[in-house]
Amino acid sequence: MTSSSLFLLLIIIVAAVFVLGRKRSVDVAQSVGGIRYLHSLPNYYGLLAAAWAAIPGVILLALWSAFQDVIIQNSVFSLLPESYQALSGSRLDLVWAEIYNLQKGIITEASDPAFYPAVEALNNLMTTSTTGRTVLVIALTVLGGVWGWRLIKPEQRARNQFEKVVEALLLASSMIAILTTVGIVFSVVFESIRFFHKVPFTEFVFGIKWSPQIAINAEVAGSSGAFGAIPLFVGTLMIAGIALLVAVPVGLMTAVYLVEYASSRVRSIIKPLLEVLAGIPTVVYGFFAALTMAPKLKGFFEGIGVNGVSSESALAAGLVMGIMIIPFVSSLADDVINAVPRSLRDGSYGLGATKSETVKQVIFPAALPGIVSGVLLAASRAIGETMIVVMAAGLAANLTANPLEAVTTVTVQIATLLVGDQEFDSAKTLAAFALGLMLFFVTLMLNVIALAVVKRFREQYD
Amino acid sequence: MTTNTNDELAQIFEGWSSTVGKPTLKDNARMTTRGVDVFYGEKQAIFGVDLDIGKNEVLAMIGPSGCGKSTFLRTLNRMNDTIDICRVKGDIHLDGDNIYDKKMDVVNLRARVGMVFQKPNPFPKSIYDNVAYGPRIHGLVTRKAELDEIVETALQKASIWNEVKDRLDQPATGLSGGQQQRLCIARTIAVSPEVILMDEPCSALDPIATARIEELIAELSENFTIAIVTHSMQQAARVSSRTAYFHLGRLVEVGATDKIFTAPEHRLTEDYITGRFG
Repeated sequence: MTSSSLFLLLIIIVAAVFVLGRKRSVDVAQSVGGIRYLHSLPNYYGLLAAAWAAIPGVILLALWSAFQDVIIQNSVFSLLPESYQALSGSRLDLVWAEIYNLQKGIITEASDPAFYPAVEALNNLMTTSTTGRTVLVIALTVLGGVWGWRLIKPEQRARNQFEKVVEALLLASSMIAILTTVGIVFSVVFESIRFFHKVPFTEFVFGIKWSPQIAINAEVAGSSGAFGAIPLFVGTLMIAGIALLVAVPVGLMTAVYLVEYASSRVRSIIKPLLEVLAGIPTVVYGFFAALTMAPKLKGFFEGIGVNGVSSESALAAGLVMGIMIIPFVSSLADDVINAVPRSLRDGSYGLGATKSETVKQVIFPAALPGIVSGVLLAASRAIGETMIVVMAAGLAANLTANPLEAVTTVTVQIATLLVGDQEFDSAKTLAAFALGLMLFFVTLMLNVIALAVVKRFREQYD
Repeated sequence: MTTNTNDELAQIFEGWSSTVGKPTLKDNARMTTRGVDVFYGEKQAIFGVDLDIGKNEVLAMIGPSGCGKSTFLRTLNRMNDTIDICRVKGDIHLDGDNIYDKKMDVVNLRARVGMVFQKPNPFPKSIYDNVAYGPRIHGLVTRKAELDEIVETALQKASIWNEVKDRLDQPATGLSGGQQQRLCIARTIAVSPEVILMDEPCSALDPIATARIEELIAELSENFTIAIVTHSMQQAARVSSRTAYFHLGRLVEVGATDKIFTAPEHRLTEDYITGRFG
């Protein structure tokens, strides 16, 4: 039986257990004088019995699916000759792929006759596994259902017990996000460690030359490549910094205008327009930056006598990125400014403060934590943005403080390193993971610092 | 007569002519209002109120919920300006200056007519900065020592100095509700207003804190003119020298507090103070 039909069957069984459990609770209620003498409402008895049926079966199904491949693979490999068992991981994967394809009938002839017994064994194991899974899972579900059904008594605390089940479910859901994050971090860390076996950590962190091209054969000049990440981080910070210089003041002032000054009519026009700005795809911003902004900037700076302006510049990318994140900053700031209690405004106006004094001295300090977190979100958006930079700032890893030159960023390099056919154990590809790890570390530090700042300057109003 | 329904009340106001008692003062008036109407959008909330507030008197405004007493109070320092749909008609003068005149600067007006609100609303700043806020924005001082003195005097007048003098740099939000409200009073008097408006200043406080605020109001009346809106008739009787009774946006009766509470002339006033409704 396939996984999906098994799953469907499980749902049917669980639904049946719910109906039967509910019915049983109504039946047992007759003996004590009616539903009002049950501890909980009939639905809770049904739900609890259904939980008894569903949870063990689903857990078994999940574990089985997670481990069956590993177990089957190991027992199949144990049938292979010694020479194959000594192979390294990626070679072994190739062997496995061949056996698997033979079993599926995708290829018909094996490169080594020694594979045939393994294919045979794989065939048997897969049949056994599928049958075993179906039988065991259904049996466990039915058993659980019967057990849950038998437990139903008028004095059973079904409502409280089902609340516990719900709590566990909610906990499990929150764990999914956390475990995924942990998984991502680990995968990045392990690949990075492989990278640091090839390129020394200090060279990566302190090196000032980035040129990850590795020649196909050793005779070609410059075959070693250079993996100094500093130019990338400088480029990232420069572009993100320019973007924030644009977005934070403009966004905050927009929010202040909308909340404190604008009439409701003006507000109802401007807010949706800002949201349109947030909805433009970054690719569109990208070609706006590359085709409109960068040439205009070049023309402007050459007009005022600055030479050597690149047609792809950090300034163009940063400015356009700043415009892109204005709605971010303004709508987050808008929310927190709105959340400042009206009584504080009244207090300030009642003392004869003007609007701008009230905003500066009362509303901003009270809204500061929210504003800082909004700015941080904008910063991480700016650091993570790739498309605009690819199109408008170039790919050249220049170490420069001049915003009129072409620079490149960490995310752009990660994208270019992984695009196309790549060997997955060359330093060039692995460098992407190391960059990702560094980027993760930098944004984490930014968050920690910002939290500390907020804690220090926070002004409570509740 | 028993409890009035709104229809009956509407009938009573059908032939509305004028307020019972003496709403105007011959001399000695600090603020005067004549024919004040207030509208929220299309809805009229205040109908033709004439009322004077005398120098150094405590005027209490009482009446059932929604009678417009807070709305009226907020017209006196133009706090209603912050509400978009609110319009005010009629004349309101402070010491002879029309406060709704185009030339009147609302910043200046609110420095002369301060306000204490229903719920204590200290700013999320230190105790010192709360009191120093008004003097700073109005540029009343040039040196730190002067500011220190103003803050201390204001806190003393609000009889909270002894409780906070050792922790002026701590957040005002850490004070108890009663202390916060006295701090808000100190904040108001730090800009030396002529009139102080109080909008149910004790409604969020416990009885002991309320008693302290009431004592404070009595002390403040030596130097300030005070108009107080209150829900509590006992409070009005304790703190005020004159009482005005509002009903459905009209000023029904005004007179000396003793007289209003012992021998009211209008039937509605009598019904209210004897607890038939409200």
